[in-house]
Amino acid sequence: MINTALSSFGAQVVLATSSDENHPPENILDGKTETFWLSTGMFPQEFIIRFPDNMKVSLISVHSFNVKHLRIEKNTLEEADKFQVMAEKEFEQTENSLQTNDISVDGSHATHLRFLIISGYDHFVSVHKVSVEA
Amino acid sequence: MVKLRARCILVGDAAVGKSALSQMFRSDGAHFQKNYSMTAGVELLVKPVNIPETSDSVELYIYDSAGRETFAEACEKMWGQPSVVCVVFDISSLASFNSCSRWLQRVRAHCNGLQVPGVLVGNKSDLSSRREVEETTAQDWAQSQGLQYHETSAKEMENCDAPFLSLAQAFYTLYQERRQMIQTLG
Repeated sequence: MINTALSSFGAQVVLATSSDENHPPENILDGKTETFWLSTGMFPQEFIIRFPDNMKVSLISVHSFNVKHLRIEKNTLEEADKFQVMAEKEFEQTENSLQTNDISVDGSHATHLRFLIISGYDHFVSVHKVSVEA
Repeated sequence: MVKLRARCILVGDAAVGKSALSQMFRSDGAHFQKNYSMTAGVELLVKPVNIPETSDSVELYIYDSAGRETFAEACEKMWGQPSVVCVVFDISSLASFNSCSRWLQRVRAHCNGLQVPGVLVGNKSDLSSRREVEETTAQDWAQSQGLQYHETSAKEMENCDAPFLSLAQAFYTLYQERRQMIQTLG
């Protein structure tokens, strides 16, 4: 039950398609739901998380707001390249609380996870926390 | 510093001056095409707009879409999910004004129920001697639809930036509202 996506474990966001400097993508990995990364218009949006090592991934939890269609891809390379689809999910809309979604995956290994937000329930979507269980 | 991106759908009847208007805006008034050439598909113009008194900007992706019905349906497929909408008519053509409601509905059908800021533009204000649509009539209708109204003359380089600046500002305001709302959730 190690949360390998926390920045304190050496995981980092290596790419994000949009950024408000008050809401940087690092906020996704700081383990808090109070801080968030906010998309700044148009879809799709994506961010890529790099792990310090090749990690086993069996459960991914996402705290977000107004995300509709999410696809998660992975690779096992040193570069953020050549991704394979790992999971795809349509989140339900929430009104006054964050969306909390647990996505079970096959327990295979990954060095990068790519989160592709294909659509949203609003122009802007936020991601507050991503955690990963081995 | 924030850099927003907005997909701006530009619609209206053929020959009301959508391309002239968007090209004047994009080129800061340097480019007015004297000879009419009909847009058959969608032309994409990109231009960043600074938000006054901030270091923030909105990059507008303007989808200049054919007004001719023959092409309109194919164009719709390229709109994706609109962020903002700009409906244009010609102040010397009542018919083009009457079409605005249909154009607006058409764009709104792609908005998945989202609040999409919009403007109504009465172009060709240089043709005021042949005016068929009174400013107050256009203003009233725009207001009833939640649109801001602007009159422009692409030919005389009159006010062409105004509609796009107001769209950028409205999108920016929407962003700030959402940001504040989300801040209360975590």
